[in-house]
Amino acid sequence: MFTRLYRHLHRTSGPSSSTWRLKQMLAALIVFGGLSSLTATGTFALLTSQMSNSRATVASGTFTFDNVVNTGTACFSYGGPSSPGNVNTGCQALITSSTLNYPGVAITPVKVTITNDGSLDAADLSVYMPSCAASATPGAPSPGGADPCATNGAQFYVQETTSTGTPTTCWFPSAVGACSFVASSLHVFAANYNATTSALDLGKGPVHATARYFLIGMQLPATASNALQGEAAVFGLTWHMST
Amino acid sequence: MSLRELKGVLLFFMAIGAAAYFGGGGAFASFSAETTNVGSSAASGTLTMSDQVNTGTACLSANATSQNNVNAACASVLALTNVAPGVYGGVAQVTVQNTGSIDASKFYLWAPYVNATLSAGISGTVTSLPITALEGTVTNGDSIVLSFGTHTQTFTANAAASGGATSISVTSQAANFAYPIGTIVVDTSSNTSPANTDCYDAKTTVAGTTGATKGTDLNFNPVTGNPFCGTALIYIQETTGGKNYCWLGKGSSPEAASGMCTAPISVNPSSALSTGGPITSLPVTALNGNVASGDSIVITSGTNTQTFTASANAYFGATAIPVNSATPNFAYPTTSTVIDTTALSSLNPDTTDTITNFNTAHNIIGKIQLFPVTANGTINNAATVELDHFNSGTFSRVFQVGVYLPAPAGINQNPLQGLQSTFGITWHIDQ
Repeated sequence: MFTRLYRHLHRTSGPSSSTWRLKQMLAALIVFGGLSSLTATGTFALLTSQMSNSRATVASGTFTFDNVVNTGTACFSYGGPSSPGNVNTGCQALITSSTLNYPGVAITPVKVTITNDGSLDAADLSVYMPSCAASATPGAPSPGGADPCATNGAQFYVQETTSTGTPTTCWFPSAVGACSFVASSLHVFAANYNATTSALDLGKGPVHATARYFLIGMQLPATASNALQGEAAVFGLTWHMST
Repeated sequence: MSLRELKGVLLFFMAIGAAAYFGGGGAFASFSAETTNVGSSAASGTLTMSDQVNTGTACLSANATSQNNVNAACASVLALTNVAPGVYGGVAQVTVQNTGSIDASKFYLWAPYVNATLSAGISGTVTSLPITALEGTVTNGDSIVLSFGTHTQTFTANAAASGGATSISVTSQAANFAYPIGTIVVDTSSNTSPANTDCYDAKTTVAGTTGATKGTDLNFNPVTGNPFCGTALIYIQETTGGKNYCWLGKGSSPEAASGMCTAPISVNPSSALSTGGPITSLPVTALNGNVASGDSIVITSGTNTQTFTASANAYFGATAIPVNSATPNFAYPTTSTVIDTTALSSLNPDTTDTITNFNTAHNIIGKIQLFPVTANGTINNAATVELDHFNSGTFSRVFQVGVYLPAPAGINQNPLQGLQSTFGITWHIDQ
């Protein structure tokens, strides 16, 4: 009986069995599943957890300033062209040729207010004169031919004051307290302080939302020669701040 | 025995068994005994996490509205304003905790894709995705993937979307599910170039100080190409249990032996200095960066200043900086500032460790695996568990995340005025 049972069972499980192909497929699936579990575990995680700290923000401050000549309109550093940016070469002139100079008579000093209107404090403030050139005074019948920017030409100073105009520091020509006119000082200033790299250092710049006040003085020397008649000095002053 | 005979025998035994089971159980034995283990069950564990920024409220992965254990809207790490080049930026502490019952075998950090969440549900035919402010920039043609629970669907952007945008235009497609508010939206085509990273720039609309100029006032600070993201430096240093490891930033590649990132400091003396004699230690408020031995430490009060030299390393949180013996030249009060100029000088020329590069190099493809830190500058990269389950082993790890805007010599950085970078950081654990 057991021999027959064995033979029967053998027939139902061997290659001749009607279920042989199905068994082959099932065996293949078992092998495939086994391989998956053995070889692919590193490619995915069964459980995961994740979180993001979103929208961290880092914002830079601004570093801008304006200057006002006397009671004029504020001229903003960022009011110039986009390139190089934050450079405005079109601010108001300090003095115009309609303000005529006479030997030994100072013109009314020009007040310049420098205000830090950015959000960052300035570390430095400086000023320089990119150029100074002689030109005939408009309307002058016969210019004398001398150069007010040259030695023995016009005299010039840079005076810092309080907001109410009280002199505090004479930055050029260097002096304690109030400035006075010195011979050839326009020439000396233009010759020595004519670029960013050689600017006159005015010390620490204003912190944000504060201002510094300056008076720019100018006159022809009392000993000016006739050759300075009908001559104008054409110059600009550039104020520079850095962090 | 024939098969028929065998079947007969088997039916006979089956009949006996059936009789025994259904009818005769009590008839055979005088004594019996039995025990039953009732109520067996098989319950799955949990793998969840939380993160906490500084002392804020912990953010949980498990209760995200996207119902997939992914919380894309945890608190922002930093909110720095009025940042200036060359000046200490800021740092935040992030504590990541395994709040589940299962150990995490892997713990990762990466820069997220450009992302948002749905601000309104969508269904039917979709041509536009309403989203919360987009973190990053979407480019026309990008793949936009929505995920909520087990549901996911990919759309294709058919127009660009700027950082902060509140909708993404997509090629018309029927939604395969009614995706609700909170569904996660990611641009899987992003983080490949500075222009399409998760970090994006915008002009500031609020001044850094009251009444001052702001980014939108200026005409020389374009946001094209996300220049602020591409300049600001980021560093992430682990400080778990006093063991330090620089995972991201200067000091991470190659890893500094000290485990320090080059992380600037800006602190105050915790007590006034005395001119009465030499000191060998500067008492300071908890360090918000690192000091390496040999660094120049500058203390300033008004016009008074003095440079000390660090005589040993001091890490995040330290309350004293060891210095070479020197006598203070002024009785520096507690309002004085203390900075590490060596660290600043080291970072100023750095153009590698930017937020943009974090996005492009350490997104999900270049994710950073956070192996357990065993000592300063040393990790165990063979560990089988990287974040233990809640209340066991090291289930909580602590990181310092900082940003610094460098001041490279001779380079005018005016174009970076009045800009704001926005970015995210993703933490991920696997079973």
